[in-house]
Amino acid sequence: MTITSSLDSQPQALEDLVVIDLTDEKGMYMGKMMADMGARVTIVEPPSGHPARHIGPFYQDKPDPNNSLLFWYHNTNKESVTLDITTGRGAAILKEMVKKADVLLESFQPGYMESLGLGYEELSKINPRLVMTSLSPFGQTGPYRDMKASDLVSMAMGGIMASCGYDHIEDAPPICSDGWMGYATGCNFGVMGTMTAVVYRDFTGQGQWVDVSIHESLSCTTEAAMPNWFFDRKVPIRQTGRHHGLTPTPSTQFTSSDGKLVNGFDIPPRSLDRWNRMVNWMDEKEMAEGLKDDKYREMISQGVRSGPEMDFLRERIEDFIAAQPADESYHGGQQIRLAWAVIRSPEENLEDEHFRDDRGFFPEVEHPELGKSFAYPGHPAMFSKTPWRMRRRAPMLGEDNERVLSQEFGLSPAEMVLLRESRVI
Amino acid sequence: MAKPLPLEGIRVLDFTHIVAGPQCTRILGDLGAQIIKVEQDQAMDVTRSAALGGIGGIPGVNRSGMFEYFNRNKLSITINALLPAGLDLIKKLVSVSDVVIENFSSRVLERWGLSYEEQCELKKDIIYVSITGFGHIGRLRDYSTWGPTAQALSGLTFMSGLPGERPAGWGYSFLDHTAGYNAAIATLMAIHHRNRTGEGQWLDVSQVESGMVLTGPAVLDYTANGRPYRRPGNPTGNRSSNPRVAPHNAYRCAGDDEIVAGESRQRWCVISIFTEDDWQKFCKAIGSPEWTSDPKFATNADRVANEDELDRLIEEWTIDKMPHEVMHRLQTAGVAAGAVQTNEDKVVRDPQLRSREFIQKVPHREVEDSFETDSLPFKFSHTEHRIRQASPPLGSDTQFILTEVLGLSEDEIAELAGQAAF
Repeated sequence: MTITSSLDSQPQALEDLVVIDLTDEKGMYMGKMMADMGARVTIVEPPSGHPARHIGPFYQDKPDPNNSLLFWYHNTNKESVTLDITTGRGAAILKEMVKKADVLLESFQPGYMESLGLGYEELSKINPRLVMTSLSPFGQTGPYRDMKASDLVSMAMGGIMASCGYDHIEDAPPICSDGWMGYATGCNFGVMGTMTAVVYRDFTGQGQWVDVSIHESLSCTTEAAMPNWFFDRKVPIRQTGRHHGLTPTPSTQFTSSDGKLVNGFDIPPRSLDRWNRMVNWMDEKEMAEGLKDDKYREMISQGVRSGPEMDFLRERIEDFIAAQPADESYHGGQQIRLAWAVIRSPEENLEDEHFRDDRGFFPEVEHPELGKSFAYPGHPAMFSKTPWRMRRRAPMLGEDNERVLSQEFGLSPAEMVLLRESRVI
Repeated sequence: MAKPLPLEGIRVLDFTHIVAGPQCTRILGDLGAQIIKVEQDQAMDVTRSAALGGIGGIPGVNRSGMFEYFNRNKLSITINALLPAGLDLIKKLVSVSDVVIENFSSRVLERWGLSYEEQCELKKDIIYVSITGFGHIGRLRDYSTWGPTAQALSGLTFMSGLPGERPAGWGYSFLDHTAGYNAAIATLMAIHHRNRTGEGQWLDVSQVESGMVLTGPAVLDYTANGRPYRRPGNPTGNRSSNPRVAPHNAYRCAGDDEIVAGESRQRWCVISIFTEDDWQKFCKAIGSPEWTSDPKFATNADRVANEDELDRLIEEWTIDKMPHEVMHRLQTAGVAAGAVQTNEDKVVRDPQLRSREFIQKVPHREVEDSFETDSLPFKFSHTEHRIRQASPPLGSDTQFILTEVLGLSEDEIAELAGQAAF
């Protein structure tokens, strides 16, 4: 069985869903995940543009609401209408849209939607089948609900940073990754909560409100750290590029002849079978001298992991990795079932034939307004019957105003002009 | 009164182990799905024997904290998949399940005669979820990953660190979690499609791709602008690259009594200033020391240009305060700031997590004791998620599954026992 990539004739899992996307830069990834799977997602953004339109990097480094690559990536397959929902007319139009919607996504400060008369209670009266998802830094309730956050603040509070950093640099700070992984993690749970509510609605017809906390989303995304406290009352230490631990473990980053780093794992291999293959591999490169000694085989099979002999083996393997390009260590290691890797920069995956060619991970997305197309990252799962698909690049600001507001919701040409002049759309 | 569980009635046959797969079925179980975890005496989930967390101070396959954390709400059956009778039993379970989830290496289920097509013969609308590093499709399907492997390849490791230094990467398997999240999302989407059309499908989740989708703007900066992410100055540590604003960093704070392994740890807080308004509030909150009115910090561009000095001066203010003290002082003034919280802080010093019942107490199933654990990070108005039961002792639900789920008679069960099927 093969999963064919993205035949246009295939249905999409969410093609029946109509989604209103009111989110800002924190929550825009939720709507993308749903739009890429076929939902009709309409961004309702202020006439000045969605906040992410004003954040770079920008196409050709020219700041413009239609040039943000941050916005491009997180808004594929969506459409855009401009609407100032803080005005009476804007809120009224939004309510008309809510009547026909299945899902509404928002990430304002808690209480903001209520202050506009657009809280769940109000909207569920208009449409009891509505699933409304509110993503916020700390959740809609609790003593911290009104606190301000950023991705950095969420990554700090959620315990991610306490586990990420350096042990080989003295006094180094805890590290927050680039790329807003805190928001992304909140959005993963946001889509999970939304889809759970959609499935429940399939069963019962009942809509509901989903309150998603980024703080909690990160607080349960720290692997052993929480069990370390819950069951052992211990706080792990940070280590460069490898697992936090209650006690220090050896480094797993190794320099190669081309300057790239290899992420090693299981060095020296724990299984005797892999150790033997490791030695054979090193022998092919004439770097196994002294390693064929039975002494090492015995220690490996006895499960010895520390001591001068193991330090010696680690040094020899480190020398071996240092003598060849990183890709050779990566593929050579994988071929003997060692989970080694090259530490790649994100764009270096564009050349990877497995992801690019075999899995179709980097589709070219057309930008007709520029007469160009660009490779975009795809989706983390291949669906055999309902594939993800890049149907359309992110919308230009207000690109769908005419079609949605006048054709679908019946705003007259005169009112469209009036609303445009009064900056409601 | 308890609200309904949204996935009640969904049955998941769970062959997962370690973290990525169990993370997915932990979520589905919390939401009310019945999770039947299939293990073998000879090949149990290795986190059962994880060195850490012998509950009650006693090690044992039913007392591992790591196993407990990822496997509550699940039922455990031991089946010997190496014997034909065991495989037959597994096939019976497939025929009564809605979803099959596994994170073996990519050829195990094929070897068992349980490829997607073969599963369809047992259950026409089955939803089959495979979770591996590279996916089952593609030339590198036999390569294997742990979290750090996938993080390294995806670009995530590279994106985390101080400029000019090696990557700090991630201090744990972030992509085990994230692959599990993507698997749960994909499963829910596929259930929705099945509810609507009656059609099941195969979902092939890749752990490396689970990281690659989080690097979108960096990839587009290359494909649209020709600018590689691998360049001097990248990544930018805790400073903000987009938008380029300052101050935005981690700062040393006063220590508290947190002593680990005989050492007192340095404590930290973070501060994020994005707008002029934020900056004005920040200056006022720290008492408007003279340097805050220095022209070299007047505008964001000035602050960015003099970021090293600015960060040093801010740290002079934070260094004698506890991280939570800094946070509350700045938050009261409307400034985004937070303590760099440890696992201990989140459980002991975080009233927010308590108030939302994110931290919950659960009775253990074998030891006369209860323990705390964390819940799911969302709340529903009309349904709920629940920790109904702690993790299962190995094989504890075998009888229940054979009789109640499969409806086997005593004779049939005796025959299977005679064949060492379970």
